[in-house]
Amino acid sequence: MLQIQNLHAAYGKVEVLHDISLEVPKGKVVTLIGSNGAGKTTTMRAVSGMIKPSGGSISLNGKNITGLTSNKIARAGLAHSPEGRRVFATLSVTDNLLLGAFPRLTFGRERGDVQGDLARVFELFPRLKERAGQQAGTLSGGEQQMLAMGRALMLNPEVLLLDEPSMGLAPLLVNEVFRIIAELKGRGITMLLVEQFAAAALEVADYGYVLENGRIACHGPAQQLKDDPAVKAAYLGASH
Amino acid sequence: MSAVKNISIVLAIAAAAALPTLWPNPYYIHLMVVIGIYAILLLGLDIVVGYVGEVSLGHAALFGIGSYTAGVLHFQLAVPFLLAVPASILVTGLFGAILALPALRVNGPYLAMVTLAFGTIIQILINEMTFLTNGPLGLSVRKPVWFGHQVTGTDYYYIVLVALVLALFVVQRILKSHLGRAFEALHDSPIASDCMGVSVYAYKVYAFVLSAGMAGLAGSLFTYSEEYISPNTYNFELTILFLLAVIMGGRKTRTGPILGAIIVVMLPNVLSDIDLFRKISIGIAVITVMYSAYAVTARIRSIRQLVLPLIVTISLAVSGFFINDISEHRLTIFGVMILFVVYYLPNGIMGFVRGIVVRFRPQWIHRHVQILEHGDKQHVWAVPDHPVTSNGFLLEARNIVMQFGGLKALNDVNLQIKKGSVHGLIGPNGSGKSTTMNVLTGIYNPTAGEIEFNGKIITGTTPSSIAGEGIARTFQNVQLFGEMTAIENVLVGLHHTFRHSLIDVVFQTPRCRKEKNSAEVRAASLLQFVGLADLANEEARNLPYGKQRLLEIARALALNPSLLLLDEPAAGLTAPDIKELISMIEKIRSHGITVILIEHHMDVVMSICDTVTVLDFGQKIAEGTPAAVQSDEKVIEAYLGGSAKAA
Amino acid sequence: MEILAQLIVSGIALGMIYALIAFGYQLTFATSGTLNFGQGEALMLGALVGLTLVGHMSYWLMIPLVLVFGALQGIFVERVGVQPAIKTKSEFGWIMTTISLAIIFKNVAENIWGHDDITFPSPLPTEPLQFMGIRVLPMEILVVVGALAIMLAVELFNRKSIYGKAVVATSNDRDAAGLMGINTGMVITFSYALSSMTAAFAGVLVAPLTLTGATMGVVLGLKAFAVAIIGGLNSGMGVIVGGLILGIAETTTGYYVSTGYKDVPGLLLLLLVLAIKPAGMFGKSVIKKV
Repeated sequence: MLQIQNLHAAYGKVEVLHDISLEVPKGKVVTLIGSNGAGKTTTMRAVSGMIKPSGGSISLNGKNITGLTSNKIARAGLAHSPEGRRVFATLSVTDNLLLGAFPRLTFGRERGDVQGDLARVFELFPRLKERAGQQAGTLSGGEQQMLAMGRALMLNPEVLLLDEPSMGLAPLLVNEVFRIIAELKGRGITMLLVEQFAAAALEVADYGYVLENGRIACHGPAQQLKDDPAVKAAYLGASH
Repeated sequence: MSAVKNISIVLAIAAAAALPTLWPNPYYIHLMVVIGIYAILLLGLDIVVGYVGEVSLGHAALFGIGSYTAGVLHFQLAVPFLLAVPASILVTGLFGAILALPALRVNGPYLAMVTLAFGTIIQILINEMTFLTNGPLGLSVRKPVWFGHQVTGTDYYYIVLVALVLALFVVQRILKSHLGRAFEALHDSPIASDCMGVSVYAYKVYAFVLSAGMAGLAGSLFTYSEEYISPNTYNFELTILFLLAVIMGGRKTRTGPILGAIIVVMLPNVLSDIDLFRKISIGIAVITVMYSAYAVTARIRSIRQLVLPLIVTISLAVSGFFINDISEHRLTIFGVMILFVVYYLPNGIMGFVRGIVVRFRPQWIHRHVQILEHGDKQHVWAVPDHPVTSNGFLLEARNIVMQFGGLKALNDVNLQIKKGSVHGLIGPNGSGKSTTMNVLTGIYNPTAGEIEFNGKIITGTTPSSIAGEGIARTFQNVQLFGEMTAIENVLVGLHHTFRHSLIDVVFQTPRCRKEKNSAEVRAASLLQFVGLADLANEEARNLPYGKQRLLEIARALALNPSLLLLDEPAAGLTAPDIKELISMIEKIRSHGITVILIEHHMDVVMSICDTVTVLDFGQKIAEGTPAAVQSDEKVIEAYLGGSAKAA
Repeated sequence: MEILAQLIVSGIALGMIYALIAFGYQLTFATSGTLNFGQGEALMLGALVGLTLVGHMSYWLMIPLVLVFGALQGIFVERVGVQPAIKTKSEFGWIMTTISLAIIFKNVAENIWGHDDITFPSPLPTEPLQFMGIRVLPMEILVVVGALAIMLAVELFNRKSIYGKAVVATSNDRDAAGLMGINTGMVITFSYALSSMTAAFAGVLVAPLTLTGATMGVVLGLKAFAVAIIGGLNSGMGVIVGGLILGIAETTTGYYVSTGYKDVPGLLLLLLVLAIKPAGMFGKSVIKKV
């Protein structure tokens, strides 16, 4: 579904991604793990067009999306729930969600069942329904995270990029986020997941890539990575 | 190289001095006087536009204030020339301060907006305050009489030439000193600059006032040159001309303003002569076509990029044959020229020439002064400027709340940092570690709570004053002054060691030289300490990521801090580098500097921290020795998060 | 007392024009952090184009055409002047290009419509109405109503339509808006179109009250800067209050001090507001995340 080949990316003159290749097959969940500054978020940003890659190619469903602007990539069917949530603070929860479906609402005709999707998102995140009319900026961190995920789902994406969905959340909410990811997986949504909680991410994922200093250090089926002693030592046992 | 430079400067001055004898036409001498006067103003304007990066649309008005101060003093009080000129500089500088102090408090286009309004108001005031300025009728002034000799137009040319050479000299010295370095630093990274104790606000105001003073000098010289001044001279069009001159000549150069002055003074003459205009516009069109052909074949620019300028220049040349009175279209031509320069000559003519020279003779251009001091071990650590006076804790943060919208990034956090300790701050991403750093260094003003550092409450003060108290930091996403060399970056950190004044800078007093030298030795020593001695004269942006982080540490140490905040120093470092880093932090502690360390590499945290505080969800969930924290239930859960369920 | 009331009433009409222009500054500042230093020229062009059109049709029929013209002019300014500067993140760039476009527009207008000010035929009776001894021109009422109506219309559009929400989203967080499939570049162009459209509208509203001419925009654009800063660059309420304050301050200064000094209180107020509350009287200061 999503294919990245020999991706390079730089901030200014400093190259931070070197030759990243990875693949997200349809209906699967793939996770990127690695320490802070390894390039996980940069990879996500390069895929969704928030930064222009300096080399390599990215294709979505066989269509080349390398170097397109982020709005074109979104229209091609890639949703990205960015690091730090980035909800539209002065808009209501419902408006935030509707904007997630923006490409389907333009030119005066609705494409697909937007209202039905809205209802489904509210069903998935009951908290959001309670807050439907509230300004997004006044939500708590956990609610904002749900909103960011719900907003990305409103696109009915081919691929969903989730960047650090558990960031800044209380442990209880972290569990909730992973439960939702598992549920989305059950619905057959293709996902690329970046998570600092590597153990939990590998638990829900089918396949994993380990990033180190902007390079892919190793990759393999999630189960295999989880049992890999090197990975275990570096990322899974971080606090033990 | 510098001998060649000195000789060429002397030759240029000699040539300028010889001009009136070669070309004794009084009209041309007067034009050259105006060029000299404009050049003085433009040198000052370049400090604001080129170095500090703010846009002033009020320099015509400041020029007018300078003119009218001299004019009024002469007309109403018969003050002599040699007193009126310095008075003009002071008065105009004062007006500059009145404008800059409020307008520069906020980032964004405010200075441009305020100065634009100021320009209009000044023109109105000059017109209305007839009791002082004689209103729209204007003021008549005579050139001074010195020792019974009436100063002539040619004499005045030499007076302006002397003033210009002095202005060049003074500006050059200021920009090469720690002041100029501060201007460049604040433009490059305002946040880092504030955190190095170089207040962005204060130095922007400083730059603007300096620039206003030079506009005052130019204005007063203009009064005596014209011998008649009236309010309409100092209009918006003149401001536009000044800006056009600065950007067309080339920002951040000394030659650019002079070239710009020549262009804008000559421009009206070109535009009043239709034949000359036709010749020049055809010339420009031919040059553009030739350059385009070259650029396309050499693949510097694509055809698409060049279509617009080609159309504009060719249509300018063609239009010359349809228009009889060019001066009617003067403003359109200025406008087109500005658009052209902004898009196609962003570095001005001098920048363009420099670019060509760099391409063929790179050794001729030195963007940076090479500093070749050798560092040594005993100069790494200076006697701290900030002796620790408090008992017990060096820093105490009490009940800190930091709220963004509805989100509490920090919720009632208490921190106590023991003197001389290494205090670790850990927690999952987004738990509030970096927010804590930003609150401690004054970048964020906490919603509630207070911070006491070394016996003083520092909450509510500015980042630069907190830096001045002795808190230095590094940044999670590196904030170096990218266009400066490594050693210049460290010298910005040493800004506080420069105690000498503007006067010392201008006269290069022994005190100034001594401070400069010892700062350079110190900077070199600090670079050696972090292992960057070989890269001292390399631009910071060209350093690899890991080295950039080390440079940030050196720069922070330059502040002689009593507390050093390190935000993920190990990110991007390889395993052997991390070992180096650990021993470096040990050494820093052994010199009495307290350290707060944010780090994700647990081995780093565990091996050097005395105390560790764990943040989660904006709250402190654990604190204690590394071993105790490591086995804390809550910490394990926070770090493992979702996997607690999975496990 | 009656005189003061009269001055206040006249100040209100003037103030609403300032508010309308300042509102235009806010529209573009919200989406892109830039503003058009030629906003006054957009107003002037609107008024002059309106003047030419009024020779062939009624005032009311002319208004929609002027709105279209204003929108096109805004698109031109954004494409030529602002977009390239946003790409290179150059504040200096967009300030300089919008200024140079402004002087080009002014110069072109001078060459088309001449240097002299021209009277604009009033669509409403020029006989003032009397309310308790205070004289109000019908046109002044139209100015206030018209200005409020267009601001309200833009606000409603932003709140109700999905495109309006896209505009708000872009001003909240441009990168995140892009991720929603919103073409943020287009939104910025659109905001310039709206902004110049409101300015052109302000032009045809104010023209019958004053004289029209190539230089009419400069001072109005400038006053609106003061209003935008006094009220706050991000507060809709702020520009209305700021406009009223400035308008009334001017008419009263003009009467009690001297007409020559009427532009002075605006700048003093401007400096005062910046010194005390830099984000403006109603503006929210934004905490920049590091």
